[in-house]
Amino acid sequence: MAEPQQDWNTLPDEDFRRIFRDWVDANCPAELRFMRKQRPLFDEVAEWYHALANKGWLAPTWPQAYGGMGLNPAKHMIYVEEWARLGCPRIPDHGIGLTGPLLLQYGTDEQRAYYLPRILSGEHVWCQGYSEPNSGSDLASLKTSAVRDGDEFVVNGQKIWTTLAHCANWILLLVRTRKVEGKRQEGISVLLVDLRTPGVRIRPIPNLREEADFCEVFFDDVPVPAGNLVGEVDQGWTLAKSVLGHERIFLGAPTRPEYALARLETLAEATGKFEDKAFLSRYARHRLDVYDLGSAFERFAKVLRAGGDLEADVSVLKIFNTELYQRITEEMLEIAGEAARFEDDLDAGDTKVDAMNLFLDSRAPAIFGGSNEIQRNILAKAVLRLPG
Amino acid sequence: MPQTMFDDEEGTLGMLRESVASFAEQNPGAKALRARRAAETDLDADLWRGMAEAGWLGLLLPEELGGSGLGLAEQAVLSETLGRSLLTEPLAQLVVFSSVLLKRVAESNARTALANGIADGSRIVSPVWQGSDAELSDVSAEPRPDGGYALSGSYHFVSAPHSATDFLAIARSPDGLILVSIDAAADGISVTARPTVDGSRLGHVTLKDVVVSASQVLAKGSAVQAALDEAIEVTRFALAAELAGIASRALEIAVAYTRDRVQFGKPIASFQAVQHRLVDMWGDAEFACAAVVNAADAARDETARATSLAILAAKARAGDAAVSVTRRAVHLHGAMGFTDECDIGLYLKRAINLNATLGQPEVLRLQFVALERAAA
Ligand SMILES: Cc1cc2nc3c(=O)[nH]c(=O)nc-3n(C[C@H](O)[C@H](O)[C@H](O)COP(=O)(O)OP(=O)(O)OC[C@H]3O[C@@H](n4cnc5c(N)ncnc54)[C@H](O)[C@@H]3O)c2cc1C
Repeated sequence: MAEPQQDWNTLPDEDFRRIFRDWVDANCPAELRFMRKQRPLFDEVAEWYHALANKGWLAPTWPQAYGGMGLNPAKHMIYVEEWARLGCPRIPDHGIGLTGPLLLQYGTDEQRAYYLPRILSGEHVWCQGYSEPNSGSDLASLKTSAVRDGDEFVVNGQKIWTTLAHCANWILLLVRTRKVEGKRQEGISVLLVDLRTPGVRIRPIPNLREEADFCEVFFDDVPVPAGNLVGEVDQGWTLAKSVLGHERIFLGAPTRPEYALARLETLAEATGKFEDKAFLSRYARHRLDVYDLGSAFERFAKVLRAGGDLEADVSVLKIFNTELYQRITEEMLEIAGEAARFEDDLDAGDTKVDAMNLFLDSRAPAIFGGSNEIQRNILAKAVLRLPG
Repeated sequence: MPQTMFDDEEGTLGMLRESVASFAEQNPGAKALRARRAAETDLDADLWRGMAEAGWLGLLLPEELGGSGLGLAEQAVLSETLGRSLLTEPLAQLVVFSSVLLKRVAESNARTALANGIADGSRIVSPVWQGSDAELSDVSAEPRPDGGYALSGSYHFVSAPHSATDFLAIARSPDGLILVSIDAAADGISVTARPTVDGSRLGHVTLKDVVVSASQVLAKGSAVQAALDEAIEVTRFALAAELAGIASRALEIAVAYTRDRVQFGKPIASFQAVQHRLVDMWGDAEFACAAVVNAADAARDETARATSLAILAAKARAGDAAVSVTRRAVHLHGAMGFTDECDIGLYLKRAINLNATLGQPEVLRLQFVALERAAA
């Protein structure tokens, strides 16, 4: 059973930061810190998951009545900052970050009572079933269908790029419940689907880093109880779009570029590159880009700390962040010279630098979570109000 | 649209912003710039008087020196709004620079007179210290028996060289660096000026045995270097804010133009290639504004070293943003952007001038890295 929680939001920020950091530093296993893998499997981090759950700190933003910490956005930012600073691994967090908030906002009491404790206990591991082979950026064109048949929906179709589906047992599924001419956002619904139901097939897809990290998920006449519908039928698009609130700021947190820059510095020190004027000039650009990303992040963080809401303009951070991460890892390969031909880690004095690993990893964030081109399209409309 | 965002509980920054904007409505910056360019002068005396009356010239000076003793957030909002409005009088170069120098030196009659004159606009004080390489010049100061000096040599990159009533000069003496005030009409001073890209004039001031009395010596020795370093830093900060304002306004102008201009039966702003370009320009302007706010926050809350880093970053970021946003904005205007009549070109030229003032981005970034790595 989780420990009872105090009212964290009334604590001074620095006290909360210290309490959180001290406990995490003492309890997050050393071998899990600064993992090479962005997305470890559930079993690889289960110990840490359960430790957080027992402490009552697994779900930072859920209300305390539902087993969360009840943090406001300002405290949540501290939670995320310290987590990153200490190099804690990412846990399979679709249940905590996606299904949980969706049910808290739109679910029924029965759904909350059933699913939320099972997320905290780790019994249910969730994944996100949105993208399809022919519906990526244009997600509203999705075709996986759910047809009502008595007390059930019958699901047919295919999802793809489903992160960690192979270690999950539940999927949050966007399905088409009605064919609509024109307005394709209508007629989409959200279903909670047990992946162990007959008719579901999961096939991992090795990614660019040759890891099985995302999957294809096939649905062949899969029966889903009607009670697993979230919110109103055909209204799922709005639900799915509105669930991310202040969390959008984290897509722009300077963490990844900062980490990559530190690795670049290690590599450059070890290879004497700081003596090279041309490198120094390029390095200074990356360094200042990271520094200024921090200033820009702070501009939005202040809004949250003052109790305000983020607007569409926050995605400027996501674009800058992901492209900067790419530039820094490209620089690593550049200074690696002939050694950039190797797949494994590079020697850097008495340590190693995973240049290729980071370079390959940095390809993904500019694509997922709405590709950078899609972000630019949204900014053009929502912020600059440019005509369509 | 991009703008610096400061805590402004009392609303004073908002009022300042509005007062500069309404001043700009009365005195359109582009028109004043063109008039000054045509007249081949280095300063618009009417505008200058108006800015003094508005209280902007004494903003950083303490109250006992005739100023209002405000801080960097206020300076940022003032400079940013001047930048947006294309009000291009050399406020940062003359007033911000001189105010910091005067704040840093000991009390004296000369200091009080200069400071009061700056604040009320009756004196136009131009700092002179750069050589032809833009570094500290080698103007020499020979000591005289009465405690004064005789100065000889040349200063470059001098703002308002003809309009200046006084020069605040840094020279090398056997006693180390000295900071002296010189009457611009003193014997032995000759001034030539060249046009700047943005329609003003920069001077080359040559001194030949120019005599200053002991009472005109404001500081000596290491204090001078410290005051100079701080003046450069704070002026860079003001320039960064001005550049951020230029970037933000140029983006707005480009958005408005591309929304209006129709080709292929549609506004050109509906084409994705144009939209993405505008979004990137917007992002650059946002980052410039955030960098300026970060520098002001650092000056308030953090160490001198952290402040130095933040100001280097802000000037580099805002300079890059202003030049590249205005360049892209000119392009988005098509041939119209290539005309002298269209204001967007003036924004580009202004951005180039200010970006090149007191350090281009590459130089500032290398200074940032050197400072950061030196302590590590
Ligand atoms: C590592 C990783 C993990 C993922 N995890 C999940 C997950 O767990 N669940 C899930 O549902 N999905 C997941 N995704 C999928 C992700 O959401 C999609 O990849 C993304 O929405 C883009 O769709 P797509 O891959 O089909 O690319 P496409 O939409 O085919 O885009 C291809 C290229 O065209 C560009 N493009 C597309 N449309 C436009 C346009 N209108 N204007 C300009 N350019 C355009 C894109 O920017 C991109 O560069 C994951 C993706 C990755 C890479």
